[in-house]
Amino acid sequence: MIYHLGNFLFQISEAFSFCRLVNYISFRAIMAALTSVIFVFLFSRSFILFVHRQCFLDQVRETGVHSAFDKSGTPTMGGVLIIGAVLSSMLIWGNWNSPFLLCSLGGMLWFGFLGLLDDLSKVRMKSGDRGLSERTKLVLQGLFGLVFAWICVGPYAPLGENLSTKLYIPFYKYPLLDPGPYLYGAFIFLFVIFVSNAVNITDGLDGLAITPALFVAVVLGIFAYVEGNRIYSSYLYYPYLRGAGELTVFGAAFVGAGLGFLWYNAYPAQIFMGDTGSLAIGGTMAVMSVLLKQEMLFPLLGGLFIAEALTSQIQDKIGVRWVGRRIFYRAPLHHNLQHKGIAETKVVIRLWIVAGILALISLATLKLR
Amino acid sequence: METPVNGLIALISALALVVLITFGSLRWRRLAAREPRILLSGGGTGGHVNPALAIAEGIKNKEPNAKFLYVGVRGKAETIIVRRVGYPLLFVSSEGYPGLKLSWRSFRFLCRLCIGVTQSVIILFWFAPRWIIATGGYVSAPVILASLVLRLFRICPTTIFLHEQNSIPGQLNAVLGKWVDRVLLTFPQTVSFFPRNGVVVGYPIRHSITLVPREEAFSRLPFKVPEGRQVVFVFGGSQGARTINRAIVDALPHLLPHRHRLFIIHGMGLARSSDYHAVEDTESRIRSALKPEDRVLIEEFYFRQDYFHNIADVYSISDLIVCRSGAGSLNEISRMGKPAILIPKANLPGDHQVMNARAMKHAGAAEILFEDTIMENGRLLEKLEGKFLAERILRLLQDPDQIEKMAANTNRFLRRQAIERILSEIYRDNSFNNGIGCPPVPFRALFSNHRLLQILSTAYETSPRSYDPLAVIGDEDDLIYYRHRAAGLLSHQAWQDRNLGIKLIGLTHYKEKIPTLLHMLTDRSPTTRIRRIFGGDFEQVGFIRRNIVQALQVMNHFDADVEKALLTAADDPYYEVRAQVCRTAMHFGSAIAGREVWMDTLMKKLDDDCFEVVLMAAGALGEVGIDGRALEALLNLKNSHYWQVRDAALKGLSRLVERRVISPSPDLLCRMAGFILTSTDFRPHFSIKETFNMIQKGCRDRLMIEEGLDASPLPSEKAAGKS
Repeated sequence: MIYHLGNFLFQISEAFSFCRLVNYISFRAIMAALTSVIFVFLFSRSFILFVHRQCFLDQVRETGVHSAFDKSGTPTMGGVLIIGAVLSSMLIWGNWNSPFLLCSLGGMLWFGFLGLLDDLSKVRMKSGDRGLSERTKLVLQGLFGLVFAWICVGPYAPLGENLSTKLYIPFYKYPLLDPGPYLYGAFIFLFVIFVSNAVNITDGLDGLAITPALFVAVVLGIFAYVEGNRIYSSYLYYPYLRGAGELTVFGAAFVGAGLGFLWYNAYPAQIFMGDTGSLAIGGTMAVMSVLLKQEMLFPLLGGLFIAEALTSQIQDKIGVRWVGRRIFYRAPLHHNLQHKGIAETKVVIRLWIVAGILALISLATLKLR
Repeated sequence: METPVNGLIALISALALVVLITFGSLRWRRLAAREPRILLSGGGTGGHVNPALAIAEGIKNKEPNAKFLYVGVRGKAETIIVRRVGYPLLFVSSEGYPGLKLSWRSFRFLCRLCIGVTQSVIILFWFAPRWIIATGGYVSAPVILASLVLRLFRICPTTIFLHEQNSIPGQLNAVLGKWVDRVLLTFPQTVSFFPRNGVVVGYPIRHSITLVPREEAFSRLPFKVPEGRQVVFVFGGSQGARTINRAIVDALPHLLPHRHRLFIIHGMGLARSSDYHAVEDTESRIRSALKPEDRVLIEEFYFRQDYFHNIADVYSISDLIVCRSGAGSLNEISRMGKPAILIPKANLPGDHQVMNARAMKHAGAAEILFEDTIMENGRLLEKLEGKFLAERILRLLQDPDQIEKMAANTNRFLRRQAIERILSEIYRDNSFNNGIGCPPVPFRALFSNHRLLQILSTAYETSPRSYDPLAVIGDEDDLIYYRHRAAGLLSHQAWQDRNLGIKLIGLTHYKEKIPTLLHMLTDRSPTTRIRRIFGGDFEQVGFIRRNIVQALQVMNHFDADVEKALLTAADDPYYEVRAQVCRTAMHFGSAIAGREVWMDTLMKKLDDDCFEVVLMAAGALGEVGIDGRALEALLNLKNSHYWQVRDAALKGLSRLVERRVISPSPDLLCRMAGFILTSTDFRPHFSIKETFNMIQKGCRDRLMIEEGLDASPLPSEKAAGKS
């Protein structure tokens, strides 16, 4: 809104020349972050109260870890706050002509909606294990994955034709290979589904999902800034992505919202993000990294999410369901650490540290190529 | 140009359809009013077809000009039986109900059912029946569904009757029965499923058998029964039952000492398939099970024949019946008023034979013996130990009061004159009071395996020490049945089923199966290569072995064999098994305290790679240790990386002190000084939740007390109202 207004004003009159400021991505990014964090601070208390009144509370679930206290009864669906903050901040500071912004917001809203359905059905069935069925979730995620893959490799690709299907890997300047639209589209499809579920699985302890997600958003925001800037991108040998800078603004808004949410979500949590939040965050991160050609960086950058998802899937699908034994003590990773006798707070902070280190290494790939 | 023509065509065809339906409906009403036209449906097995034919015969005797049409499914029992009797037969498409699940089978079921309903609609319009008599099974579902739909639009004037043969209605019958005019029931227990329209009529049969005087019966039989013998009639239906045939042969040696007061008549059955030849199998079993001199002796009190054509005579001279619990057999027993030992066929859909047997047992009319499912030469077989059968027969025969009581109860169990009762329902002439809306006899359904596991494990976890499966389940025969069902799971291919079986065997305290469990625990046959690549090891997977050890603990059974198996399992490659062995050793601590072999094993486990095993072993050492070695070993754990291990070591030490193995002394304090007491975990203390829970608990306790006071007068009130 302000972006378009500012552009309009300084075009009609010299008196509004200060409005040129809105063309600076750094300025908009900072303002977007501030706006979303203020949004969360303004609304979260009344939102938590609202959720309590509606009885949208976390339901009991069999995790296999005997926590010293039962977390059921904590309000959930905090993801609504995050999505609301990002959305309102982008309404004010975003450039709504940018396909980058529209794709990312689309991903966030679709996955947020999907998570909301899941949360609501868990509340209605009064059981943490009886949300949407796994199949329904996968179908709905896959639907977005299909549309997004088509956008990425199809005729309306935001990256332009010569870049859209090329695969870049970290620590290497040039595109590794060009798998062609079908193979690359299938890869995007699977990537989106996997990442969104990975965040969903990680969201098991207070504050565990949100902080690593912030790290990821910061790093991706920096990448967006570099790749969207003609000078920096040519200096660092990145493909120049015209308009990718918009994702810096988006990432900043996301960081602001996440910080505001962590305020209430830190141990002991007053609110959980629920599937609404975790799926939305996962979807957004997947979309952002695909748009920035950093999908192969994600296994490193979001290594924590990947590890959580893999441990959980290996334990459940291979170990418990098929081979008939536990492969890890417990799964996912954070429950394994808890089982080994590490307190929840300690597990969370240790995993934050791991995520931070991974983010630093990922940042290093900017130059190490 | 095109659209009006299309519209006109649509209008005309719609009008034509309405006219056709109106005409068909009027014709239907006219025909149905003019003469009794009866549509029979039902089948799948003979048990569904024969009642339908019996009812048809009853109607025919009353109204010789009645017209019949039988609707069945191609290739099922009705194809043969109905053709032989000679009623016109038509086929519709249908399939067994596969359950509420998204799958290819349920899709096919829906498609077939839709086709079947369409076929039935056409048949119904053409035949125009006055009455529909359905005897259940999925075969009759399309016809009932079609007529219900037509009735919804007031097109069909037909009255629908549904006869249910078993004590628990099949799934389709249970749903459709709610909408039909009358559900004709065999068992009084079933009324609770159809409180609105259920009537108890009994089981209709075509040529009813009646009791004949003993002397008359004796004169017609091909064998002589000496004076003063009690006669037991053993049979497994017209085809024969392998379990029963083998069990009675195995029982003969046990019955031999009582041959002067017993006489056993054995109907072996007509089965001559490649799978089972009743007569040959029985003869060879007699040769192998009995010594030659015994084989001569048994002739004094044992008579066998493949089939008795004059079965009423055999019934008449019998004092006790041993047979299956199909609805047909139960009806015959009830009609003859004979006490019975029922051996329900296991692994049937819906366990209906078990349900029937339970209904009869709850009425005090029969006793039940369950067959076991075992693996023999790589084949699954049902088996009943001859010893148990012999014991049960002798015990019953020694108690004439019991036999008399059972006979009286059997006599009352099922209603007589089923056909007359059904006719009175069809013609609504009130010649019988079949008790529509009569108070339903409460009848508890059996639990599914998963539900049973849930119930039992909750009970066990609440109080492991005072756990008794019998108290939880309430009925001894039910418990025995659950045990057999659990044991049947052990031979399944999927390890998940075997695992469930193991858990259930433990929780139902099925101690006879312990040797099997121990064999499975130490079985080292490898699993498939692909599973081994992904971390699997043996055919009996890790969970199964862990749960076997746990089951031994639940059963609280310890002997030399168990000990040997546990010691082997202590070196199992899967850590959870080792940990569970240590936990079980802790449980049996008093039995193994001070045993050298256990001390060695547990000490070795203190060096295990897996911390779970170490901490369990430390706990166990606290129960088992009897000297300074345990103390030394536990003190060595003071620098362990895991706080849980250090914690377990301290708990072990305190158990040693409690058991007076070591005494609390300044010396001990001094040696414990080096313990690392930091911990990476803590227990949060949420004051607000605790306060809330405290008040909540108070309120709940109060509520329980009030409910307890309120609940007690209720049963007596009910009893007073009944009498």
